[in-house]
Amino acid sequence: MNAPFSRQIIDTLKDKQVTFFTSVPCKLLANMITLLEQDTAVSYHPATREDEGLGMCAGASLAGKTTCILMQDSGLGTIINALAALVQFYQLPIVMLMSYRGSPGEPVPAQAPMGMLTPELLKLMQIPMLHCHEAKDLNEIASYVDFARVKQGPVVILLDFHLMSGDQ
Amino acid sequence: MKRYALLKTLVPVMRDSLVVCNIGIPSQELFAIEDRDNHFYMLGSMGLCTSIALGLSLNTTKNVIALEGDGSMLMNLSTLATIGNRGPNNLFAVIIDNGSYGSTGDQASYTSAATSLAGIARAAGCKHVIECNGEAAAEHLEGALNEGQSTLIIAKVESGNEPVPVVPLHPVILRERFRICVSH
Repeated sequence: MNAPFSRQIIDTLKDKQVTFFTSVPCKLLANMITLLEQDTAVSYHPATREDEGLGMCAGASLAGKTTCILMQDSGLGTIINALAALVQFYQLPIVMLMSYRGSPGEPVPAQAPMGMLTPELLKLMQIPMLHCHEAKDLNEIASYVDFARVKQGPVVILLDFHLMSGDQ
Repeated sequence: MKRYALLKTLVPVMRDSLVVCNIGIPSQELFAIEDRDNHFYMLGSMGLCTSIALGLSLNTTKNVIALEGDGSMLMNLSTLATIGNRGPNNLFAVIIDNGSYGSTGDQASYTSAATSLAGIARAAGCKHVIECNGEAAAEHLEGALNEGQSTLIIAKVESGNEPVPVVPLHPVILRERFRICVSH
């Protein structure tokens, strides 16, 4: 596994002192999940649902950690209340690393509906989003982690299907 | 015994721990009994109490206690699987099982009929699960804390709420004073 983009993303988050990770799996995030499973320098514990993962991140945040959840964009539909009434209400910095399944390249029709809604939902919820279309966009991730801390709230790194499906 | 009386017996046992308290009347009752900086009152996001406690316990060496309810536990059962596999020894939960949704008008929950939270928790991989009457919960919790043995205590009580006001504190104030407790 070379997976240079996946390595760059995880390295960037670690450089920015993100130390607690959780995930709900996705094929496009699989290399990052493998890297986290093998990394003894970070705390990584898979979640069963995205809202459980946000709860775990919130708890880690109460211990002063900056946290990250890896998930599909479809999971956004599961966590609107947890984002609004927990993460945003208590003002907790959380990095949400989201595979953009419902974007061009996606072969599964059922991913399209949430894909259409994802950018508008994030905008409506006033959650800053870095939409990564190509490799150079990944260089902005560090500043979004900083912004999560400054804003004391969630930020989303949205990773296009084409970008991550080519990262082998 | 109702939830309020049970919480009164738990408070003296929890003073040295970090407490994550379930949304709604449980938090309001705990606040009315004794407001402390080591209490994190959930003001929203029903169902995530034990998950928040799990995330906290994985990132501190202090003891963490989730004050959970049967209705909210039923809403997020799969977190029991995460706890059964990844829960650390400093994580404790008291699931106050009154067989009803107390904050919304005491509608019956399924634990009042066919469903056993203790059975679900054991099947999910949680090794130390105690089911008891509310009167015995504080003693079980104190024992588990003293032994340093992560335990889920399902405390059976009667349905019913104490007439207490809403927690009047701003969420960011709750967060900050709790964070100071975690770090000291």
